[in-house]
Amino acid sequence: MTQISRLSRTDWFGPLLATIIAIVVIRAFSANFLSSFNIQILLLAIAVNALVAYSQMIIIAIGQMNLSVGAIGGLAAISFVGMIEVWGIPAPLAVILALAIGVGCGVINGVLIRITGISAFVITLATLSIFKGINLGITEAQPFYGVPDSVKAFGSALVFGPIPWLVVPTVLVAVGLWFMLSRMPVGRFILAVGSNEHAAGLSGISVGATVIIAHGISGLLAAIAGVLVVARLQIGQPSIGDDWLILSFAAPVIGGAILAGGHVSVSATFLGVVIVAIITQALVLFNIDPFLVQVVLGALILAAVGLNKLRARAPIGQGT
Amino acid sequence: MTSPDSTLPASPLGPNAGRSTTHFFLSNEFGLILLIVIFAMIFGATAQGFLSKFNLFTLGRNSAVNIMIGLSMMTVIVTGGLNLAVGAMGVSVAMTCGWLIEGVGVPWPLAILGALAFGAALGWINGAMVVKTGLHSFIITLATMSIFFGAMIFLTRAESFRELPSAFSTFGRMKFGGYLSPLLLVTLVVALLLAWLYRRTLTGREMLAAGASPAAAELSGIRVDRIITLCHMLSGVLAGLAALMLVARNGAAIPSMAGQLGQDWLLPAFLGPVLGGTLLQGGKVSVLGTVLGAFLVTMLSSGLLMLQVGAFWVQTFLGLMLLVAVLLDKARRSYLARRNLA
Amino acid sequence: MKTYIHAITMAGLFGTAAATSALAADDSRFGLIPGGPHPYFSAWEQAGADAARDYGLSASEYKVPQKWELSQQNQLLESLLSQGYNGFLIFPGDPVGAVSTAEEISGYGAPIIAGAGCYKDPSPAAFCLGTDTGNSAYLGAKELIKAMGDGQKRIAHFTGFLVDPNTQLRIDAVNRAAEEEGATVVQVIADIDAPEPAEEKINAYLAANAGDVDGIITTAWVPAVVAANALRKMGDSGIKMVGIDHDEVVLQAIKDGVVDGTMLQNPYGQGYVGTFALDKLRSGCTVKDDAPFGSNALTDKFIDSGTAYVDASSADTYLDAMRAETDRLLADFEEKYLNCN
Repeated sequence: MTQISRLSRTDWFGPLLATIIAIVVIRAFSANFLSSFNIQILLLAIAVNALVAYSQMIIIAIGQMNLSVGAIGGLAAISFVGMIEVWGIPAPLAVILALAIGVGCGVINGVLIRITGISAFVITLATLSIFKGINLGITEAQPFYGVPDSVKAFGSALVFGPIPWLVVPTVLVAVGLWFMLSRMPVGRFILAVGSNEHAAGLSGISVGATVIIAHGISGLLAAIAGVLVVARLQIGQPSIGDDWLILSFAAPVIGGAILAGGHVSVSATFLGVVIVAIITQALVLFNIDPFLVQVVLGALILAAVGLNKLRARAPIGQGT
Repeated sequence: MTSPDSTLPASPLGPNAGRSTTHFFLSNEFGLILLIVIFAMIFGATAQGFLSKFNLFTLGRNSAVNIMIGLSMMTVIVTGGLNLAVGAMGVSVAMTCGWLIEGVGVPWPLAILGALAFGAALGWINGAMVVKTGLHSFIITLATMSIFFGAMIFLTRAESFRELPSAFSTFGRMKFGGYLSPLLLVTLVVALLLAWLYRRTLTGREMLAAGASPAAAELSGIRVDRIITLCHMLSGVLAGLAALMLVARNGAAIPSMAGQLGQDWLLPAFLGPVLGGTLLQGGKVSVLGTVLGAFLVTMLSSGLLMLQVGAFWVQTFLGLMLLVAVLLDKARRSYLARRNLA
Repeated sequence: MKTYIHAITMAGLFGTAAATSALAADDSRFGLIPGGPHPYFSAWEQAGADAARDYGLSASEYKVPQKWELSQQNQLLESLLSQGYNGFLIFPGDPVGAVSTAEEISGYGAPIIAGAGCYKDPSPAAFCLGTDTGNSAYLGAKELIKAMGDGQKRIAHFTGFLVDPNTQLRIDAVNRAAEEEGATVVQVIADIDAPEPAEEKINAYLAANAGDVDGIITTAWVPAVVAANALRKMGDSGIKMVGIDHDEVVLQAIKDGVVDGTMLQNPYGQGYVGTFALDKLRSGCTVKDDAPFGSNALTDKFIDSGTAYVDASSADTYLDAMRAETDRLLADFEEKYLNCN
């Protein structure tokens, strides 16, 4: 009994339970749900969405928000393809440059927030508009088609069975983030700044550097997500990232993240992404109106923050 | 840190006579007026047709909508909250109005009232949830933005209401003296009413007090919960008004008119109040500043379009402007603070 | 009226640069305005430039609203009118909602032609020059049904924005063709003319239902590309497909046998003939009362810009098919539709 109540306190237990129940129920109604092709489609969606969620999660960890996640992802995506198509540079170099652009955008966010002391909301709203505007200015909203065959092949290749190669970067990122947040000083600093910025500063942590690093990581993850979407869509579409905002908050919140900062969970956020992907998929499988996806996402956020609020009344450890 | 004067809401008619003139020249509103005049001269000189009657007319009409969106956000910012759902609520109100007219057969004046009441109800949902859960309005309105918009699209099947009475489009195209849109007058009347609300009425002062310090307001007998809910309802009505003005402009209620999830309204919604000097922490409001800020933004987009700098760069400019504006405001505040200390 | 609008629009504080020209022939500045950024319309740019050169106009420029949204299009049109543009080929952002702006524009004497999609009557547009989308979808569905041969004929239909006036016409036409041939439309997925949602919805649908579908018809650009890619990924699925438009991906898929064929539209012809007609209308021509217009659900003044079915045998020469359609349209356009004295 105590075992269960302790389990129920962890961040990942609730989402895991929900995931399993959802899988079992949907499988019972639709035999196709666990078909190999369907699993592949699910994994493709999860691979990108998890990165988007992590990009927001790391900012939630320091108690801020980043509205420009989608704009950074989109900018990285089109500069990736654009550099290949216009300058003809090789794909691996273009990936590195695109990721560097992502980091750069994130660092700009962090530095602006830090030196001006203006709320992250306003700064990232402004940079959202700037980054998206640069994207539209460069592309004039027309896609770049010059995705090289190697990238296309990566986008549709399978490791084995139904597992696409696209999930590999995501898994590496997830493990890396988990290691960073739980085992590395910088991870502890990030969580400390999130729980109490003032106290963190007093205890000798460089708050400024920590905030900028967190935003840099956020930019990097958004950029990786953007590049992966290019590999999946096989086209450098300027609208990449336009609809990431809601999802980027939904998954960490479902995973028990506290918006005030200091408490996030890599594994539970991942489960949050899985739940959202399964539900989206289920709505299509059962021919339920796709328009309802938005309603369900919104309701999920509300339910999750409500539950977190209840859970927070009991003391909990800083989980991962 | 700021002087006591600057925490008072600005009058829409300009600075109070009692205030020192230097103070006025350092105010946000004066800065905005200066910018508007400078940019008007630049665009007038360089952009072909910027000062034509037709362009002035469309400028007024477009800024009427943008100002209204800014005011809608402002009423919630006053409480220290945010309302990400302005666009979603606005479109929902517009579609409700269309449905009342086409689906139910309600005469249009009643339909407008009914739809605005629906906007207030949506605002009430937001406000009640913010108050009951104690969560920040950011996450609540993020969720309701998704829910309202999704439900609206589901119920309307994303189809427009196109058989509206001609009163709507006639109103949207009406011109006074060849260049003044009645939509702008509607917006200015609403702005005056809001200024009156915050300056002259008890409710308005309670809204400001609740935003400045909820705990202190509670202690002095203000029912903060009710006040916050009221602010959200007001926001819903104003968002609805903005959307109805767009309906008048197009002669049809179109679900996509505020973009996916109504997100396209977010930037104009924040640009107006933030440029106008409304504090995001709440407690201070400037109706005149919001009006001027939103007008400046509309004028800049229009001018940039006319200069043919490339329509696609307009968004970048607006973002940069928001950034520069908050930095300038920051500098201005610290300058004022230093002078007061000295 | 024309000089009047000129007087207004040019009377900027110092902006007098182009104010004096009163000749109708070479002060024509036309705007070709799509509903939003979309690859379909990019052919308008070249078409406008070619026509402006061929007919000696001062400009016929392709201007794109930043987003697929009516208010963006309205602002662009207002701005261009203020700048002195005096004729427009417009894809209406909404068949009814766009009429209001069109009336304002024509109130200043600038002729308007609806291109690729129509305004709902009554509107100030001289006529609507577009693909007979219903017919195109109908013919495409017939070709698909032919390709599916005997046996079961279950069709999935992927199409574009619901805000696009053409989408409903397409859905109806495919249903009609299916009914006539004893096929069934098992699923219509609409509102997916952007790659990310299209990728997600189409793949999810095929993942679950590939076994229950015998043929796919797509009647919008992006779904055609995404569905072609999906079929290639699935390998030998036995599913037949007819797409739309001339994206490289679709044409390559046709050559490789993944897709059976595509219904070509003629955006270049719309841009070229549209510019030609705007120039004629500005220089005093009027639309004939008894012109042989077609009609569709939106308007009774419809001119078909042509459509053609392209399969593996003609995929390499699709451009010729487009040019042939344009020439056919242009050959007797003036005498068929216009009164010029």
